[in-house]
Parts: sequence; C-alpha cells; structure tokens
Amino acid sequence: MKHTLRQVFESGKFVSGFAIFVAILLVVTIYPLLVPEPPLRIIGQGTFFEPGIYVNVYDSISAPHFTLNLDEAAERRIAGRLADRDRGAILTWLVGVGIPESEIDIANTEQLLDQWFSNFDPTVRIPGMTNADRNYYIRLNSSIQGLLSTEDVIIAHANEETASLEAAGTIRPSAYVNVGQIPNVRILPLGTDNFGRDVLTELVKATAVSLKIGFVAGIIATTIGLILGLVSGYVGGFVDDVLMFITNMFIVIPSFVLLILISFSISQEQRGAVTIAVVIGFTSWVWTARAVRSQVISLRNRDHVNLSKLSGHSIAHIIFRDILPYIASYVVMALILQISSAILAEAGLSILGLGPKTTEVPTLGLMMNWAMIYQAHILGKWWAYLPVIIVIALIAFSMNLMNTGLDQVFNPALRE
Amino acid sequence: MKHRRLLFLIIGLLLALSLTLAACGPSVPTPEAEEPEPAPTEVEAAPAEEEEAAPPEEEEEAAPSEEEEAAPAEEAGADPNALPRNETLYFNGQQWGSVVGWNPYSNNNNNAMTIAQQDNARVLMFETAYLYNMLDSQVYPLLADGPYEWNADRTEITFSIKPAAHWSDGTPVTAEDYAYTWATHVKYNTPTGAANIDYIDDIVAVDDGTVMVKAKLDEDGNALNPLLVEAYLSTNYFIQKAWTQTLEERVGNDATALLADPAEDVVYSGPYHKYFADDSKVVLIRDDNYWGQDASMWGSLPVPKYLAHVIFKDNAAGTTALQAGEVDVSQQFNSNVNLLWEQDGLPISTYVPDPPYMIGASLPTAFFNLDSPGLDQVAVRKAIAMAVDYPTIIANAMTNQSATFDQVPRSLMNPTEGEQALYDHEAVADLQWVGNDIEGANALLDEAGIVDTDGDGWREYEGENLSYVATCPNGWSDWQAGIEVVAAAGAEIGIEITSNYPEWSVYQTVVTKSDAPLPEGYDIFMMWSDGAGPTQPWGRIRKLMSSEFIGMSSNWNGNWGMYANPDADAIIQAIPAETDPDALREMYTDLVRIYLTEVPSFTLMYRPQSFHTVNETVWTNFPYEGDGTNPPVPPLNLMDGWSVAGLYNLELVNP
Amino acid sequence: MKGYRNYFLTKLLWFLVTLVVAFILNFTLPRLMPGDPVAAIVARMAQGMSNTTGVQAIYEQYTELFGTNRPIVEQFFIYMRNVFRGDFGFSFSQYPRTVADVLRTSIGWTIALQFPAIVVGWSIGNWLGALAAYRKGTFDKILMPASIFASSLPAFGMAIILLVIFAVSLKWLPTSGGYGYDLIPNFSWRFMWSVITHYQLPFWSIVLITIGGQAIGMRAMAIYELNSDYVKYSRFMGIKDGKIVRYVFRNAMLPQITGLALAIGTMLFGAVVAEVIFSYPGLGSTILTAVLGQDYPLVSATTLIITIMALLANFIIEIIYGILDPRIKAAQAD
Repeated sequence: MKHTLRQVFESGKFVSGFAIFVAILLVVTIYPLLVPEPPLRIIGQGTFFEPGIYVNVYDSISAPHFTLNLDEAAERRIAGRLADRDRGAILTWLVGVGIPESEIDIANTEQLLDQWFSNFDPTVRIPGMTNADRNYYIRLNSSIQGLLSTEDVIIAHANEETASLEAAGTIRPSAYVNVGQIPNVRILPLGTDNFGRDVLTELVKATAVSLKIGFVAGIIATTIGLILGLVSGYVGGFVDDVLMFITNMFIVIPSFVLLILISFSISQEQRGAVTIAVVIGFTSWVWTARAVRSQVISLRNRDHVNLSKLSGHSIAHIIFRDILPYIASYVVMALILQISSAILAEAGLSILGLGPKTTEVPTLGLMMNWAMIYQAHILGKWWAYLPVIIVIALIAFSMNLMNTGLDQVFNPALRE
Repeated sequence: MKHRRLLFLIIGLLLALSLTLAACGPSVPTPEAEEPEPAPTEVEAAPAEEEEAAPPEEEEEAAPSEEEEAAPAEEAGADPNALPRNETLYFNGQQWGSVVGWNPYSNNNNNAMTIAQQDNARVLMFETAYLYNMLDSQVYPLLADGPYEWNADRTEITFSIKPAAHWSDGTPVTAEDYAYTWATHVKYNTPTGAANIDYIDDIVAVDDGTVMVKAKLDEDGNALNPLLVEAYLSTNYFIQKAWTQTLEERVGNDATALLADPAEDVVYSGPYHKYFADDSKVVLIRDDNYWGQDASMWGSLPVPKYLAHVIFKDNAAGTTALQAGEVDVSQQFNSNVNLLWEQDGLPISTYVPDPPYMIGASLPTAFFNLDSPGLDQVAVRKAIAMAVDYPTIIANAMTNQSATFDQVPRSLMNPTEGEQALYDHEAVADLQWVGNDIEGANALLDEAGIVDTDGDGWREYEGENLSYVATCPNGWSDWQAGIEVVAAAGAEIGIEITSNYPEWSVYQTVVTKSDAPLPEGYDIFMMWSDGAGPTQPWGRIRKLMSSEFIGMSSNWNGNWGMYANPDADAIIQAIPAETDPDALREMYTDLVRIYLTEVPSFTLMYRPQSFHTVNETVWTNFPYEGDGTNPPVPPLNLMDGWSVAGLYNLELVNP
Repeated sequence: MKGYRNYFLTKLLWFLVTLVVAFILNFTLPRLMPGDPVAAIVARMAQGMSNTTGVQAIYEQYTELFGTNRPIVEQFFIYMRNVFRGDFGFSFSQYPRTVADVLRTSIGWTIALQFPAIVVGWSIGNWLGALAAYRKGTFDKILMPASIFASSLPAFGMAIILLVIFAVSLKWLPTSGGYGYDLIPNFSWRFMWSVITHYQLPFWSIVLITIGGQAIGMRAMAIYELNSDYVKYSRFMGIKDGKIVRYVFRNAMLPQITGLALAIGTMLFGAVVAEVIFSYPGLGSTILTAVLGQDYPLVSATTLIITIMALLANFIIEIIYGILDPRIKAAQAD
C-alpha cells in the first residue's frame, strides 16, 4: 500500500493534478473564513460592475485631503472625458453646421470646446445624421460641460429648515485622499454579476457546491456501476443478461434526455443541488458497470479465483478477497472520472435552464446560466463567465490528470 | 487477419450508410429534394384537415419562382435569392420557432409577423377598421372611412369603409366581409368569437360601404359594455367573405379543421404578405397593389420592400445580430441596452435616450394567494410589499429599462401621461410606499400583533410561522431576478420567503385554474397585466381586481390570487358606461385607493408594451420621443396599431 | 458455427426485448411529466376570453382531438398503431404541424453537423493519440496535457469561447443561424458558401472537445499494444517497423470504434448546446423545446429515433465483436 502510494506520488501527472485539486479545495475552505459574507447577497444596485477597487465617495469627501501638484492631472482628466473619437465627432458636427475645416484644430482643446459650445444646438439636424448620432451629441455635450474648469467644487448641505443649500466645504482639482484612510473600500477582484453579487465570493461557494454535486453523483454512479458490474460479471448467465439489458437500456435512451425528463418531473418541489446530484448519479453509472463487468469476466477464470472456489469460499468472500482488490485501482479511476463528468453534467443542465433551482446556494452551472441570460459574453463582461469556465475546466483537468497519472502507475506498460 | 479485413469492410459500409443518411437529410433545405409525405392517417379528427396540411411545402417551393417573376423589376445581375439589404427591414424578438400557418381565424399560427388581434393589432397583412395609438389614446381609421358613431342610446356603432379599400385579389372590401367575418367567428366559436360574444350582439352590413355593430344589451336596454364594443373595431381583422367560404367548403364546416387550416391561400388587404418561411426565417414581401397607397390613406407604399425576421434560439443570439447590424428593429429584452451605444459606440438607439429607454405600459405584478394562511391579513401583504427593494429590481433585473416608483408612484395605471392623469395622485399619496422600508414594514406587523413569540426569528400568525413560497416561471429571467429580491425582503421582516421556478407549462396550468384554491408553493406568484389599449386602464384594473374570474376552470384573464371586494366590483362594472370625465376620475381614484389599501397584489416594475430598439446602420427615421410626427408614431416596432405609420417614414442612411 | 449462431440469437433476442421496453419507456416517460400540455394550446386560444364555457369547450375539443382524455393504455395502443404506419401525430407545441413535418425540417441539419464533427474529431483524436504513443518524447509531453485540458472544457465553454473570439470580437465568422440572414435557400455558390461559413463554429466547437478524449484513449490503447508480446516478437523477427505499427494501431482502434459507433448512434441530441449557442437549426434544440413545452408526441418520436439508432449501433458492434473476438463469445457461453 505504502509502496503504491509512493509510486503514485512519483508520477508527475498525478502530482500536478493533485496539486491543482488541493489548491482548489484550499481556496474553497479558506476563502469563506476570510470573507464571511453570504455568497448570494445582492450588494450592487446595477449589473456587471467591473473588477476593481471601489472607494466610498461619501467617505472620501470627509477624509483628510492632500494636495498633490501633478502635471498630467488636468490632461488625464480631459482625456478621460474627451477621447480622440469624440474630437473627431465634434469636427464632423462643426463642419456640418458650416464652419470651414481649416478653422478647426481638434488638438487644441480650448478652442475646440469654445467652438463646440457656441455652435451646438440639440434641435439642429444635420443631413445624414441618425437619431443615434443625435443622442450621442447630446450625451457628449453634457459630459464635457465644465471640462476645462479649474475652480473648486463646493460641497453643500441641504438645510431642511430654510430649504436652502449651505456650503460645507470645497474640493480642489488637486485634492487627493489616501485610500488607507478611508473606512469603506471594497475590493471586487472579479466585479459583480447581473444580480449585483460579488462574483468571487459567489464563485468560491459555487465551486464548493459543484464539488459536492460531483462527489455525491460520482459516488452514487460508481457504487451502482460497481455492484452491477461485479454481480453481472461474476454470476454471469441469465443474471448477466438481465443486468446487461438494464445497462443497455440506459445507454440507448441517452442519459441526457433521461436527465432532462427526470429533473423536469421533479421540478415541482425540490430541484435542489443534491437532488440534481442524485439524478446525475443514477443516470451515469452505465460505463462503470460495463467496464467493471468486463474486468471481472477476465478475472474470474484466473487461477487464484478458481483456487478460492475449490476451497469452498463463499461468493461474498471471493468477490471481496479475490476480485475486488484487483479492480480497486480501476474503480478509483472510474470514480475520479465520474466526479469530473458529473460537474460538467450539472453545468450542462444548468446552461439549458434545467439545473438546480435553488436560491440558497450558487452552482457553477447556475452562474454560467445567469451570465448567459444577461448576455455577459456579448457585452464584454468577461468576469461574469470566463472565471466560471476556467474553474470548471481546472477541476476537470486536475481530475483527468490524476486519472492519467494513476493509470500509468497501475498499468506499467503506460510508463515511459 | 481475415477478421480484421471483414471488420473494416463492415465499418466502411456502416460509414457509407450513415453518410447516405446524412446526405438524404435536407441539410440544405431544398424544396425539390423532398417528396410530399403521404398524408398520415389521423386518430380521430377529420381526414380533410390532414390533406390540407400538405400545401405549405408546395407554397415554399413556389416562393422563389414567385420572386423570379417579380425580379425583372430589379437591376439585372442581382442575386434573386438574396434579399437586398437596402430594401429589407429586419426584425427580432417577435417570432420564436417556425411559422405554422397564416389563418387569421386561428390563434395557433405561431405567426408573430402577421397575426396578432390585440389592443394594438398587428396590421402588416390583415387590417382592422381602426388603428389604436397608445401615445395619444386615439383611434385612427384604417379600412374605415372617418370616425365611427354611436347612436343616441349608445347601443349601436356605425362606420363606413374607405371606397379605395380592396383585397389582394382586387375585389373591394365591403361591409358584408366584416359582417361575415363576425358570423364566422361566432359560428365556429373561434377565440375572437368566444371573447366577444358576451358583448356584441351582431354585426350587419347596412349597405356595401356601411357597417353597424350592435351591442348586447342588459335588462334596462343599455349596452352591457360599450367599451369592449368600441375596442372590437381596432382589435379584429377584416377577413374576406369569399375566401372564408372557400375555407369552409374545404374543411367541411368543421370547427377544429377550420382553425387548424394553415390558410396558405388566404386573401388579405394589408401591405405585406408571405414571401418565404422556414425554420430559420420568415420573410414578407410588399404588395405593390396595396390599396393604402391611395391618397385617402397613406398616399404611398411602405418604404421597405421586404420585412424579414430571422428566428433566433435565444435573446443572446438576437442581440448579437442587432450589434452586427443584421437586425434593424429589435423587440426583445436586450439587457443593458445602453451599453450598445455607450460602450460599443454602435448606431443603436431606443425610443427615449435615457432610462427607462422605453415607454412603460404594463405592470408585471406579484399576486398574493389570499387563501394562504396569513396572507389574508392586509398587514402581512402590505408589509411584504413595503419591504421589497424595488430600486434593485429595476436596476438589476430590468437593467434600468423601467421607470422607478419614485418617478411614477404605484397605482393601477401604466406610466403613460394619459393614464396617469386619470386619477388623483394627491388623494392617495398617504397610501404610497417606495419600498425597502424595513422599519415601516416591521412596525406595521408589530402593530397588527403579528410578532415572533417563540424567538426563532420568524413571525407567527395563529401559532404558525409565516413562511411562503414566491414563484414565477423558470427562464423568465427578469421576473426570476425580481422574485429573488422579493424573497430577500422577507428575511428582513421575519417572514420566510423561498423562491421556486416551475416550468411555464406547469406554472400556467396551476395559476390559471381559478375554480379551486391554489396549491402549496404558489403563495406569491408573478403574472402580467394588460398594457396599453383602447379599453385601458379599465381592462387592466378589471383583470387585476375583479372577482368575476373566480370560478373559471381556465382563467386567462386575471385576479389569479382570487381577491374579492364588492365595492371594487361595483366600480369596475360601472366604468364602461360612464362618459363623464370627472366621474371617471373619481371612480379610478377610488379603485387606486382600494388597491393601495388592501394590496391584493403589487407591481414589481414597469414594462414596455413592446421593447423597441433600433439599429440605424441601414435605415433611419425610426420613431423617437419628440420626432415631430403628428399624430406621434408609437414605438411598437412599426407593425402594431398606429405604429405601422412609421413604415412610411423610413429613409435609407446611405440612399 | 453453432456457438456463433447461439450467440447471435441471444443477442438478437435481447435486442428485440430492449427495443420493446425502450418503446414503452419512450411513450411513458414523457407522459409522466407534470402539467397539462393541452392547457398550453388552449392558453394560446383563450387569451382575451372571459367566459368560462367558451374556454372549457375549446379545452374539451383539443383533449378529444389529441386523445389525452382517454386512459393511458388506450393511448398507448393508438400510438403504437400509428407509429407502425409511420404516423407520429400532431406536435402539441407547434400544432397544427405534424411531428413528421417538424422532424423532417430539423433532422438533416443535426446529422449534417454532428456526423462529420464526430467522425473528424474521432479521426484527428485517434491519429494524434497514436502519434503520441509512437513518437513519445516532447510530442507526447505537450500533446497529452493539451488533450487532457481540451477534453476538460465543458462543451458550452468551448462554444462560447469560440463565439466570443471568432464571431463577436474578430468578426471572422457569422454569429448565428444556419445560413446568411439575407438569403433564401437555393442552389447557388453564394448560398453554399454561406452555409459553409455558418457551419464552421458549431462544427469546430464539437470537434475540438472530441479530439482530446479520443487522443487520450487512443494513446493508452496504442501503448498497451506496443508493449504486447506479439510486437516484441515481430521486432525480434525483424519485421519492418512500418508494418508492425500498422497492425498495432488497427488493434488499438477496436475499442475506439465502439465509442464511435455509440456516439453516432446517439448523435441526434448531442449538439444541443452548440445549436442553442449558435442559434443553429437542428433537432437538439427542437427536443429541448419539446420537453419544456411538454410536447409528448414530439418527445416520444425523437427519443424513439435516438433509441433505435443507438440500439442498432450497439447491436451491430456486439455482433462484429462476436465474429472478431472468440473470447467474448466464449465468455458469454458459460
């Protein structure tokens, strides 16, 4: 046993797969301890906030301000609100209302804005201009108001008694705050999703749930497959025919269709994560059963089994002592594959809208499904779906690596 | 070794067989490759119907050749099988799944481009007498000539038909057609017939050009519901008598067969008709003999020669096509639609440039099951409604494509100006709630004596923990997201709310069964309300609050929570006959007061009548707010009610 | 020969039994789903109706038409009788279209997409796997983990990544549909070309994830064979390497071919994710909508076709194995 284990851990593939898997497990266990927030809490009002550091504006007003005289500050401010594309559009407008192109210099911000403000009229419709263009110019006009202003911004309180505004302070264009001094800063490493939930927190929890689904489904499938395979292969004859018949039924009625039908039928009440796991388990044992059966058939005529039979050992004894140990390694590998394919199956079901219907816990498939429904992929909100795909792929990858590693250990022929 | 050879031979044969199979399949849907299927014999129904089911194939074959006949008009060298981009207007979000038929008597055509007899009727192929305009709440004559007139008792409506109006076969549209259409609806108990038979007594032709619609009368000799009689004029199509008779003959006067007929040979009066339809798209082509080019109607033909709708499998695919400029007019929920122009810089716009981007018209509503223990208590219902975080629903679930309740306080009215003016905002201001009011909700429950006595965190009513299931159909994303927020609100006020999403096919059968109490799992559930139309807001209020629907085994109207209030019923009954604006305002205000006091249901968001997003890559001059059109063209995808006027204003961006 | 006949007859018997049971299951399973499909049709008819009797009349009319008001056993026999005549009845969700009509328009797309994709994915995968086994070294070191990673990606993940990269960002290929949005099907180069370009993304999204799994399997099989006694003996006898390799791979292919046959047998539903994400016409998404819309006749018909194809594939494989490998037959005999 020890020897086998050492061999297993000498396999590079197994070790890398194992390392990835353990890393995932560690994150899944440790992260909730550090960020104890409920994973499904809606924190953002609005959808798909970009990953980044969110600093509370209210707090930064009252936090100590520091003056930093940096040269590029004004330039950056202008560039942020007046991109090259906008300058081009202003040029088009000005030419459209009849200003000679030679008089316009789009690099000269001050002059350009001056010309813009004296010529822009939202009611004018230049020939060839679409409604979308018109909306764009109106938006542009309001966003560049006061762009060149160097005056301070006044912070005012509303006085409830007099219903007037009272100045409470000013903010200079050169004022800075130190993020460390602001009590409310929230880091959203993967932004928020369509519900306004923190994607990272949700992803960690979803990974844990999906792993659980994988384990439950994998263990169920492997157990059923193992038992049916053992009985079918060892007993043979009519029992074998009947069991193989059942197995064939499950092969020919595609398990995906079966899954849909079953999960649809139980939709009424509890289509929770565990239920889905059980359903996946009960429909995916077929290959394990077939493979175990063929292994057992080849084993049962070996000398040591025959010897055992001659010594009058019970069937249970033979199966447990003389057959099971020989296929144990195979069963372990089958289990690993079952787990990874169950995680993929849950995700596949969810993407079709047939996954678990739970609002207590997220799963990887559900996260993916919602990201697709709110079209994260075509709006360029990569953080809502790409990490999910990567996590699913990493889990499956680590399992498959471990599996290949084990294969090479148990089947010396595969070693290089 | 021989065995191996054999194996490869067999496998080779297998592959060849499968390849042949693949080749046989209409991978490229070529009509001539398919022989007409032998008409399958049917279990029970008339065999005639089956035989009629065959023609669609032939029609599809015919379509391209039809176009070849039309082709000479176009430049030589143009591909006759490609729709010229400059002459085609593309849609999305209307047609899901392939078209089944073109039969204006049936509701089972799955034909979203041409058949929708509703408040804002779709008039591309079949036409109504009048067109409703949701922006000014007026009707404008289409096939009718001038406004309709009530007689002095308000029991009969008379209108005349435009002399220029004619069918696609060239024969004039007559009053007899209209009368026969109604007679057919009644005779075969079509959906239209069944829906109106309680209010319309008869429709007769006074002469060739004049129609009289007689209302059903009550004991006192007054029209039962003049509002619904008026609405019939702008809701239901003219169908040709001669064609109807052909159809009747074909189906042997069998009602089921009549409704199941795909009607490929139908005669129509509208500007467009079928050009091509398969699993991937539907294309309509303009009828250049359309009567409406007469000066008495539009004075010209609609601008696009083709109207095409590609059938997408989900919203995402539709949005991608919109981004790519392959769709001009989008009637689907494009989440975060503003990013398409703000972030992607695409020439895409909505009717209103800023949130809520659309004209809200309907009120997606959460109904309370009034039989659930505890939900019979006003305090519990109102507390839940007060605790819900509406701004989050609107910002997240609707991605800001709904007015907020700060902008438009809740009532039974949709957020259009016309309806908002119908009730006294001041009179009910005290009853309003803005949502997210946890303190207020808790206080309300405490005051009602519904408290948590056993300290488990959940309040009890009559010894039972308050625990509910909030539900809506699976996959209805904005509603689901809304329900999630409702469930979250429960926990804040000591009421356990869990969510559940059954499939629509299950959900609808449960919710519409109003002759028995709703089963467990349907304590708080989402359904729609009416949008904008000639009978609104009366029709919407009736469907939200009237107890007349309790007891229906298949209730597709409303009040699914089975709320009953005799006062409300009496007002709802009285409104259709009332013509005095002040009295109406009084009545509507009373209804809003009852609604806000008793909270039989509560609105989660405002939703537009149709989503309406346009891409101006090829076409421009779509309707937008303040576009100067008079009467204003509503943003209903250029096909519903008065919105069809927009088709005559379109221009090419690069002519 | 007698042994073989027995083997064949037993297999045939079980094939028929499985077929019968599968047929019954295909009928029963969809009908076990909760909800009332006729109500869905009536729903479309009844919108706007406010009188109870009218709605009830329509409902009864359709339960009569579809026979859903009869006992389920009677429905089964009617169904069986009709299926033997090739009549699957009306589709509930697309009424008044017939199931045959729905299937005819969509099945070709799925076969044309899935069959080549499976065969190409399978061939490339096996070729790469064999190469990895034979060449070993760096080729194997890079190829193996790459194949494992590719086969670890979920099908929709691959589809979405391809969509985002090649259609949305690079705009090299169309995003959705089976052919150009502005075309009417016909025999022209333009249309053909459009079909081909629309075919690429769904096709490769299936091929790419097939390759990985096949490569891993083939590599393992090939290594077993390369280390087997007959290879060592042949080498010892001085038979040319090329010849040995040919035999080795033929043997290693055997189990792979089982997989291929079964994949082809069950291919009709396999492309559902690609069909949905690329809005590609086909049967997979038709089945999905049928299940969601409780379209019993359509679900039963499609699952029946899938079942028969899979059963046949399985049966043929078993028969061939019986011929090729006497050990299997012998194992069955005792």
